[in-house]
Amino acid sequence: MSKTIMIVDDSASLRQVVALTLKGAGYEVIEASDGRDALDKLTGQKIHLVISDVNMPHMDGLSFVREMKKNVGYRFTPVIMLTTEAGEDKKLAGQDAGAKAWVVKPFQPQQMLAAVSKLVM
Amino acid sequence: MDLSQALATFFDESRDLLAEMERILLRAESGAPAGEEMNALFRCAHTIKGSAGMFGLDPVVRFTHEVETLLDRLRQGELVFSPALVGLLLESRDHMADLVAVATDGGGVDASVESALLERLRAAVGVPAATPAAASVPALVVAGAAEVEVEASGGGPIGNDCWHLSLRFEREVLQSGFDPLAMIHFLGSVGVVSHIETVVDALPDLAELDAELCYVGFEVALKSGASKAEIESVFEFVLDQSRITILPPHSRMEDFMALIEDSGEDKFRLGELLVACGSITENELARALAVQQAVTAPLRLGEVLVGQGAVQPAVVDAALARQKKVEERRSSEAKSMKIPADRLDALIDQVGELVIAGAATQLQARRANQRELQEAASNLLRLVEDVRDSALRLRMTPIGEVFGRFPRVVRDVARELGKDIELTISGADAELDKSMVEKIGDPLMHLVRNAIDHGIESPEQRTAAGKPARGTVSLNAYHESGSIVIEVADDGGGLNAARILQKAVDKGLVSAEANLSPADIHRLILEPGFSTAEQVTNLSGRGVGMDVVKSNVEALRGTLDIDSAPGRGTTMRICLPLTLAIIDGFQVGVGPATFIVPLDTVVECIELPDGAAGADYLNLRGEVLPFLRLRRVFAVAGDEPPRQNIVVVRFGGRKAGIAVDRLFGECQTVIKPLGRLFAGVSGISGSTILGSGEVALILDVAQLVHGAAAPAGAKVLAHTPAA
Repeated sequence: MSKTIMIVDDSASLRQVVALTLKGAGYEVIEASDGRDALDKLTGQKIHLVISDVNMPHMDGLSFVREMKKNVGYRFTPVIMLTTEAGEDKKLAGQDAGAKAWVVKPFQPQQMLAAVSKLVM
Repeated sequence: MDLSQALATFFDESRDLLAEMERILLRAESGAPAGEEMNALFRCAHTIKGSAGMFGLDPVVRFTHEVETLLDRLRQGELVFSPALVGLLLESRDHMADLVAVATDGGGVDASVESALLERLRAAVGVPAATPAAASVPALVVAGAAEVEVEASGGGPIGNDCWHLSLRFEREVLQSGFDPLAMIHFLGSVGVVSHIETVVDALPDLAELDAELCYVGFEVALKSGASKAEIESVFEFVLDQSRITILPPHSRMEDFMALIEDSGEDKFRLGELLVACGSITENELARALAVQQAVTAPLRLGEVLVGQGAVQPAVVDAALARQKKVEERRSSEAKSMKIPADRLDALIDQVGELVIAGAATQLQARRANQRELQEAASNLLRLVEDVRDSALRLRMTPIGEVFGRFPRVVRDVARELGKDIELTISGADAELDKSMVEKIGDPLMHLVRNAIDHGIESPEQRTAAGKPARGTVSLNAYHESGSIVIEVADDGGGLNAARILQKAVDKGLVSAEANLSPADIHRLILEPGFSTAEQVTNLSGRGVGMDVVKSNVEALRGTLDIDSAPGRGTTMRICLPLTLAIIDGFQVGVGPATFIVPLDTVVECIELPDGAAGADYLNLRGEVLPFLRLRRVFAVAGDEPPRQNIVVVRFGGRKAGIAVDRLFGECQTVIKPLGRLFAGVSGISGSTILGSGEVALILDVAQLVHGAAAPAGAKVLAHTPAA
């Protein structure tokens, strides 16, 4: 069974590229445009990994991850946060929210694939 | 992998973001953006940079990075907005737009512009210009990852060529969603795992075992030509919390001993595991342990955690405050989605067919003379009409989308001309069809430029005339009887009728003797090849005259009116139908032919008075109403019936009558454009298919009204035999 990955980012083009890359590697991909949209799309199905931007309209990435982790079904879902600078305070806030993995933007599609492979077999 | 579609999305998205950026920056001229607005501004640059990086558009990434840095400083409150800074950011935004455009269409950008901008950006941020900025694309850097290459050097290297990895994941690693096995699996992509030992010593009794915790560790021997950083990056996400030790090939025994010491585990047990991995030999271990007997290595403590505990509450508070702001903003924003325009067009087309089919059904029902069937059919038609309205509303876009680009234009053009001009916009939320929004942009742009260039006087002239030095250009949109009216008004000097007339006479557009009203004179500027600017500025003379504006507007079935008062300014008024697809029509008959009058233009219907049989004008409650006879205009065969009707129509502020034989009433009309063959036919804007399957022509009321009211139109009626 293929693994499902959710990509949350307000940039449609970034989502498309990540989705194309991951689908090419055999993953199922769910796209969401912001934190609120992402929460709406967490409808109980198994998600093996969430990739989320931090700075988004409506609901930022950290709030989203915090909300997601409140749901027992997604408590242990790994999260890769996307950020521009690997700022320490952001990372601490992220760890507090339950996001332990960070990938710095801009990244190449292959880098994302590598990061994903480290978390999902 | 085909990225072309994603790339197209990127260009669309960038255009939106750049527009948003411009909007915020223009508002910043009157007051520094704060809170979510500042965030949104930063996000524009941030998103463009992030997405451009995905496509390898390095020039965009490099330049945007600098812009982002400056915006970040502003966002953090380390710098404050100043007019100069806003100007710099606007210019930078333009350059970003150029870079994106170059990525789309090819070509190049002016390198000197970029380097000048970069210098100014860096100066604003406070980086010395000589220092090259850290603009290189950081590749998957994670803080905490050691950057220093560890060289195996001197002091008794261990004789093996494998890396040794000692992995002790934090207990909660599984709860973070990380799978240690996935990482070990991924090690296979950087080298060959030659041996692996599982450390299960920490496993508690089954009764105490918490299935959500990770108790096992691993000792791994890895054959790899990769660098330490590459190997470490496999564990990048867990480095901070877990104890990952990586020893390069040929490490010294001391390094292994340090590993054993630091582990806090049973020295001998761990030593055995290292031996089992083949990383050290039994002899080496025994020797080293003997040396260590006397000395006790100091234990390191995780002081970091203490500090971490102190910092958390503040971070959480900040995050909560931010979340609240986002929530507040959210309530005012509606969710929206993008749909390709052609899908919408297809939908509208189908709905159009549905309306025709519905009308046909109703007609058949009426003929069948069955009450239930008639009722069902009219219910159906009502629903179809609702669907039609909803479908059309999908295509409706606020005119503000077009207005949005004008603040910048006015600002730039006014500066260029040394004028002080304020732009006021109202009615930006008035909606009209998307296709119209796209097409009205250029004509409006020309009118606005004209207002600034020719309309508003120089500050000196204005002061001399007793007007405020700052001129005002206003854009205004509102709905009026099924049309949208867009006004471009200025409070400048107004049109100079004498000079226009002089010019028109010089150019042979009118004869010197012609007796023209001021309004007629004003309309002369809409004639091809007319320009009154004594000095051709670099704004006018672009090859587009007012005549082109006029024909563009008319191509959209709209009208352009001029309202000008000397010394008080000029208002250009564009009147457009809301949509080009479906209209409510009023069906009339002349002889055997059926015509449709757009319902929104119909004011009333009256009977043609007997006395007016041969006249072109009639008395409508004391008002002179010019009218034309459709039978004559279209040369419909047959005799006039004894009783005729007049449909009173209004368009662009003028009223006129249309004489017809019969009135049929309202009907749904799906506009089918006329073929090219009929492009030259005036007075008709399209055709439609009636429920009965017959074709009816849709009248172009604008042309007919102008024809009936204007002197030229009198020719049509000149054939009318005297009564």
